[in-house]
Amino acid sequence: MSKVVKANYTAEAVAGFTHRTAMEEAARCLLCHDAPCSKGCPAGTDPAKFIRSIRFRNDRGAAETIRENNILGGTCARVCPYDRLCEEACSRCGIDKPIEIGKLQRYAIEQEEAYGMKTLSAPEKKVGNVACVGAGPASLAVAAELAKAGYNVTILEREAKAGGVLTYGIVPSRLPQAVVDHDIAQVEGLGVKFQFNTEVKAADLDAYDAVFVGAGLWADNLPKIDGIELDGVYAAVDFLKEARTKAEGFNPGKKVLVVGGGDVAVDCAVSAKLLGAEDVKIVYRRTLEEAPGNMTEFHYALSLGIGMTTGMAPAAVKGNGKVEAVEFKGFRDEAAELTLSADTIVFATGQKAEDMAAVAGVKVTDKGTIAADDAGATDVEKIFAAGDIVNGGKTVVEAVAAGKVAAASMIAYLEKKGVK
Amino acid sequence: MAVKKDLSVEYLGVKCQNPFFLSSSPVGSNYEMVAKCFETGWGGVMYKTVGIFVADECSPRFDQTNKEGLPWVGFKNMEQISDKPTEVNFENMYKLMRDYPDHVMVASIMGSSEEEWKQLAKMCDELGCPLIEGNFSCPQMTSHAMGSDVGTNPELVKKYCEAVTSQTKIPFIAKMTPNITSMEVPARAALEGGAAGVSTINTIKSITNIDFENMTAMPVVNGKSSISGYSGAAVKPIALRFVTNLLQDEIVGKRDLSGIGGIETWRDAAEFLALGCKNLQVTTAIMQYGYRIVEDMASGLMHFMEERGYNKLDEFIGCALNNIVPAEDLNRDFKILPNFSDEKCLGCGRCYISCYDAAHQAIDWNAEKRRPELNDNCVGCHLCLNVCPVQECITPGEIKWKEGREHVDVALKHHYE
Repeated sequence: MSKVVKANYTAEAVAGFTHRTAMEEAARCLLCHDAPCSKGCPAGTDPAKFIRSIRFRNDRGAAETIRENNILGGTCARVCPYDRLCEEACSRCGIDKPIEIGKLQRYAIEQEEAYGMKTLSAPEKKVGNVACVGAGPASLAVAAELAKAGYNVTILEREAKAGGVLTYGIVPSRLPQAVVDHDIAQVEGLGVKFQFNTEVKAADLDAYDAVFVGAGLWADNLPKIDGIELDGVYAAVDFLKEARTKAEGFNPGKKVLVVGGGDVAVDCAVSAKLLGAEDVKIVYRRTLEEAPGNMTEFHYALSLGIGMTTGMAPAAVKGNGKVEAVEFKGFRDEAAELTLSADTIVFATGQKAEDMAAVAGVKVTDKGTIAADDAGATDVEKIFAAGDIVNGGKTVVEAVAAGKVAAASMIAYLEKKGVK
Repeated sequence: MAVKKDLSVEYLGVKCQNPFFLSSSPVGSNYEMVAKCFETGWGGVMYKTVGIFVADECSPRFDQTNKEGLPWVGFKNMEQISDKPTEVNFENMYKLMRDYPDHVMVASIMGSSEEEWKQLAKMCDELGCPLIEGNFSCPQMTSHAMGSDVGTNPELVKKYCEAVTSQTKIPFIAKMTPNITSMEVPARAALEGGAAGVSTINTIKSITNIDFENMTAMPVVNGKSSISGYSGAAVKPIALRFVTNLLQDEIVGKRDLSGIGGIETWRDAAEFLALGCKNLQVTTAIMQYGYRIVEDMASGLMHFMEERGYNKLDEFIGCALNNIVPAEDLNRDFKILPNFSDEKCLGCGRCYISCYDAAHQAIDWNAEKRRPELNDNCVGCHLCLNVCPVQECITPGEIKWKEGREHVDVALKHHYE
């Protein structure tokens, strides 16, 4: 019989390094010249530099490098798709396996917390008045950069807590809330103000010298199939948010199906399993090779006893008032048919943008995302945007990277306007 | 079938089933420990040094150095000689000799005066142990009339050797301290005083680490610390150097030598043997891993002998000694250029960094291909080969002769681990 891992919903699934094991791992690092790993990080976290710091007994310096380059260093250490970024670039792959860069990053940030370090600082006297719409990764990155440059920044957030997708959209066994809170505390430490439970309308933004929209993608994207209105049908965002908010008080159902092939699908399945579902399956329409999810996360789901079926797309949800079964048809294989009984089905098939014209009065694309250039500029001079709401939904580290670029554009804009 | 080779060796006239002995230290302090080590396969023991002086030890008493997460690169020890009554130790040695007649019991002794050395020698003579070792080298004694303070004073070494050999015919080994410039001087003095041979090295006086909590050295004893002996893998190169000096000495080199210092594996053991040691002593690796390490030392050495076609240790003991020559006798007429394997190279650039920052800027970095490219500045120092993390990626290549020098056949090293 195969051994299935027993885990807890809120406890971090992966154990971190101690000083000794971190040193052992850092000793495996080849300390490359012009290191490929550092080139592999979209946010410029500079793993080559912080691993070298760990190797040379300078944990504090390592934390400083991470934090200065990536305000969400603790979070990215957990949720980055390392196997496609820095770790894939790692020269050590040519000998055996890459350095566990994410885990070393986590270690350094844990030291930052243990030492009570305050790595970043902002000028005490601040100028201007900048708003960030949404308290997700992109906004947090922008707010930190602007605060460091000496601007007053207010983050306007609809929910009761900051973090956006980090707080409401990822299973805590992968990203514990304490890690998110520690990262956000760094932003607060720079003097950024948070205004919660605040729905933003375009007119509210007039009062600000510049505005950043990092609203994320929070609208459901349910397929138009029979039975989609039944009780027990969830969009991933709602499922994860409810799970995260109610935690052990949330009943995911006994038989849970998750449709999708990304990390969000895995997060939904893992949440369901860890919150007591007896049978959890992920069904994805394409092949595992084509799946956008991180292989490490699929491995983890498998270790929990979560099954995976590929090549099948949902055709209809069956039930009387509530979900009883789901019919699938082959996505490419026309002969394939599958019916699975279920009391919950979660669609982790991407999210859509909400009405951004109403929120910020900016031009949107035909997909509803904000039309912004690579520097974060929109059609309205003082409004900038980046992150999922612009790129259509990518990774946290890419949101941080885009936020840093947008912040630089905003600083240039504010200076041009004489706000400095 | 597991390889079987004869590892026996005659050391100072005593037949030893193998050359692996415990050195006089905490690892051989009582009956049970030594009995277990014999049963695990050690050939003999230098029983923990016995004196009239009974040690009063501090706590804690050990520290270790590490590098990049690798512990026990070196080890610091503040323990002195035995803290058991002299009679108890002699009783233990007696029982061990009775119960393990095929193993070699060496009584290690240390006196603080001529009288004490004589007294201890007499007790050994009554015991009838096959060998006696005189500890002239423990660097952490609380009395300056003992240990390395004696070992660095050739007159005292000679005097105490005479004291011992006046009382017994049992061959006497003088254990030397490395805390000295020329070990040949006290070693010769020991032989003049009647010692049959010497053993070396004892531990090196050290401060391993400074503790910032108490602003003292390690280990911390009530907020204070002391200089004491360093051992383990880190000291092996120093041990091999002193062993070489002694074996190349025209007087000391004629006697059997026992080698000590950082021996952990069969390879380390074979290195001391290749220089000419007839006996090997180990402590630190046992403190870290236990007596069981002797199994791989014996097995590994047998496989080495099988591979090289040796049937007896004597066939290769000392075979490396004459190839260690003064710096002025080395051939300096050529350079060996490094050869870079394009296939094995990972593109880490470590060779480039080290060559630029620490050698001769002889490697250009092809940033596009991420590959090193050798230029004409190369002097053949092989820093690149030593720094490369990939096995057999950089290897010795073309031999270039300096202008006007005579071309001869060059003996090369081909394989690097």
